[in-house]
This record gives sequence, C-alpha cells and structure tokens, in this order.
Amino acid sequence: MENSSKTISDSVLRKFFLEVYSISAFTLRFFKEVLKPPYELNELLKQSFLVGYKSLPLIAITGFIIGLVLTIQSRPTLAKFGAESWLPAMVAVSIIREIGPVITALIFAGKVGSGIGAELASMKVTEQIDAMQVSDTNPFKYLVVTRVLSATLMLPLLVIFADALGLCGSYIGINIKGDVSAYLYFSQVFQSLEFNDVIPAIIKTVFFGFAIGIIGSYKGYNSNKGTEGVGKAANTSVVFASLMVFIIDMIAVQIASLLQN
Amino acid sequence: MKKDTSNKVRLGIFISLGILLLIAGIYFIGERQQLFRDTFRLSGVFKDVAGLQVGNNVRLSGVNVGTVDNITIISDSSVNVEIMIEENVRRFIKKDAIASIGSEGLMGNKALIINAGVGGKQQIENGDSMATSPPIDMDDILLSLKTTMENSSNITNYLSSITKNIESGKGTIGKLLMDESVANNFNSTIANLQEASSGFRLLMKEAKISFDKNIDSTFVSLKEGSEGFKILMEKAQSSWLLWGF
Repeated sequence: MENSSKTISDSVLRKFFLEVYSISAFTLRFFKEVLKPPYELNELLKQSFLVGYKSLPLIAITGFIIGLVLTIQSRPTLAKFGAESWLPAMVAVSIIREIGPVITALIFAGKVGSGIGAELASMKVTEQIDAMQVSDTNPFKYLVVTRVLSATLMLPLLVIFADALGLCGSYIGINIKGDVSAYLYFSQVFQSLEFNDVIPAIIKTVFFGFAIGIIGSYKGYNSNKGTEGVGKAANTSVVFASLMVFIIDMIAVQIASLLQN
Repeated sequence: MKKDTSNKVRLGIFISLGILLLIAGIYFIGERQQLFRDTFRLSGVFKDVAGLQVGNNVRLSGVNVGTVDNITIISDSSVNVEIMIEENVRRFIKKDAIASIGSEGLMGNKALIINAGVGGKQQIENGDSMATSPPIDMDDILLSLKTTMENSSNITNYLSSITKNIESGKGTIGKLLMDESVANNFNSTIANLQEASSGFRLLMKEAKISFDKNIDSTFVSLKEGSEGFKILMEKAQSSWLLWGF
C-alpha cells in the first residue's frame, strides 16, 4: 500500500517536472524561432487583429463596469470618514496598478488563451500541423510565434483601453451621487498617479500576454487525445494561464516595490 | 483582399489609439512632476522633516508650484531637502523666503510650504538655500493636548465635588439653594418688607396731607403778612418823616 502511494506521488512529480521541462523547451524554441527569418508579418498582423481588435469590445465593457462598480462600492466607506474627495485618487490607483491589468488579463486568458489552445489542438487533431511540415512551412513559426507575439503585444494595449474606460466609468460612478466636473476629476486622478504606478503595471501586462500566449499555444500544439484533447487543451490553457497571471502579478509587485525602495 | 486591408486599417487605428492614450497618460503625469516645464531648484536644511517624502508637493500661498526632488541626511541633526519649482513663480519668492513643513490635510501627505518673504528684497536664485523653520510635530500637538485634557479632567473633578456639596447642602451656596429654612426666612423677610412698605406708604400719605395743610396755612400767613407789609409801606411813603426817601 505504502509502495503504491509512493509510486503514485513519484509519477505525479515526474509528470510535473516533465511538463515544466517541455514548456521551458517550448518557450526556448519560441525565442529561437522569433529571431530567425523569415518573419510571418502578415500572419502576425492577422493574429493581432483577431487577438487585439476583436477583444476590444469585451475588454472595454468590462473595464467600464469595473470602474463604475468600484467607485459605487467604495463611496460608502470613504463617506464614513468624510473622505469622498479621495475617491478619484483611490479608484485611479486601484485601477491602474492592479485591477485594470489583472481583470483584463483574466478575460484575455478566457477569450484568447482558450481560443489559441482550441484552434491549435484542432489543427493538431486534424493533422493540419503535420501537413504544414510536409509542405515545407515551419508550423511553429507560422502558428505559435505569431500568436504568442500578438498576445504579448496586444494585451498591454487592451489594458490601456481598459484603464481609460475604467476611469471614465469611475467618473460616471462619482457623478451618480455627487457633482464633480470632468476637469477636476481627471486632474485629481493624474495628481494621484506617478510613473511608479503606470510603468510597472504596463510592463507586467507584457509578461501576462506572453504567458497567456505561450500556455495556450503549448497546450494546443501538444494536444494528442483526439477531439477530446481539443476541449481539454482549451480548458487547461485558461486554467494555467489564469494561474500564471496571478503568479506573475505577485512577482511583479515584489520587484516593483523593491525597485521603488 | 479588400477585407484584409480594412482589417489592417482597423488594427492600425486600434494600435494608434492605444499608444496615444499611453502617451497622453504619461504626459499628464509628467506635467504634474514638472517634467515638461521650466523649473529651478532650491534647497533647505531641516533638523527634522517629519515624514516628508520625495514627490510631495511644494506650496506657495496654498498653490502647488513644485515637488520635493531629493532628501538626504547630511549629519545626525540636519536633513537637506531639494525641491523643484516652476520657473514662472520665481519672481514671487524672495531671498528671505522661509520653508516649513506642513500637511495637505488631516490625513493627507506632508507638503513643503514656502513663505515667500517680504517685497523689496532680491528674488531668489537657482540653487539657493532657503531659511527653514522647524515643523509642527503631531507628537508635540498630542502632548500639549494631553496636558489640556488632564487639566480639564481635574477641573471637571472639582466641579463634580462642588456640585455634590451643593446638592448635600454644604457651604453657603449649598445652604442657600438646598436649605428650606433659608427659603422660609427669605419668604418671611419678603412678607415683612411688604408690610413695611405698605406702612411706609400710609405714613407718606399722611405726611403729604399734613404737609399740604401746613403749606396752605403758611401761604395764607405769608399772604396776610405781605398784605400788612404792603399797607405799612404805603403808609410809610405817605408819612412826612420819610420824605425824600
């Protein structure tokens, strides 16, 4: 009994480290391929359009609602201390530093990560990837590099849009129960923000996008269980990508606070 | 092909707008930190900066005109604070300006406050060191508040014992307020006074009547006397003995 449980734990650990190895090798291959010509610029633009532009409505609505709700929910607590005038500063710092990047990345992981995973997995199942190899096209370069790059480049842009719309939502939230001019609101917002808030927040979204792209691509590219594998690849892509977003966020906060000190 | 081009245009618009928003954000934040304005630098040496931090506002006449740029400890009892101020307010700051450290609000950040100095003096130069005044420390305020609270606590204790004594009828005021015999005595005194005043009124009435009578008789006597005197004078005038007077 003891031996069998030991074997199980051994195999779980073995599986885990194997997964870590293969995802690291996959990432390394990405860096090798990204620098080597030829560059699939057209495919990169197409993927950027699908990943970035097509995600904008979803991200915009979410960002706006987050700003609005955060403001409405925070108001009573600040009102207790008579500090309602601090609402723009508080909401701005929360949105720019944390909520905007993380919520956008999670939605991005749900929409784009699962999309990449499912698409590549179905291509793998239907042997389209093999067909590309046969026809002398590098499938890794054409499929993986373009998707990971577009996810890495588009997420920061989407976060900027989400932040901007979140601040607009917050302005409306403040004016539901108060009367603050747009000029005063935005001057209070920019008064409270510093480069230390904005720059690390934007930089970490690059890593969020990269992690979402690479995990989605890895899960899809290495799927091998038929049609069942497509669903599994989509599912595990979202779960792992979301988890990675939080892990990267935690590391980014530590690094940012270390650099600020 | 046409759809592909339109998608590229949309992507171009999306990327341009995103970058534009980022640049606008950076510009507005930089504007606050005077990155895109003409600034000049001043410094001041404080004994204690009371929690002032790099990036805190610098205020002149209640207006934010700059930020704290650098804080360095130069010895065990002195801290050098460097500030960046907008060039266009330099003409209002004189050589005898004094820097002090205040608060932006009860819970707010610290701020460096510049007292501009008196008119007539030369305006301050880039890199000048300002005179400083020590900050009002919250701990000092709390300490003085504590003494005040202790004093007021003693006062209320005394007041409490005084009111207890009054309530139990001790002391002059206690007897005055709480002893019924005092009130009774006071009532009888008032009654006596009332009686006395009515007696006095009667007396005065009688006195007035007798005075009136006496006055009348006096006037009658005077009248008679003056008439007799008048007759006497007339007789005297007609007498030869007083001829010539």
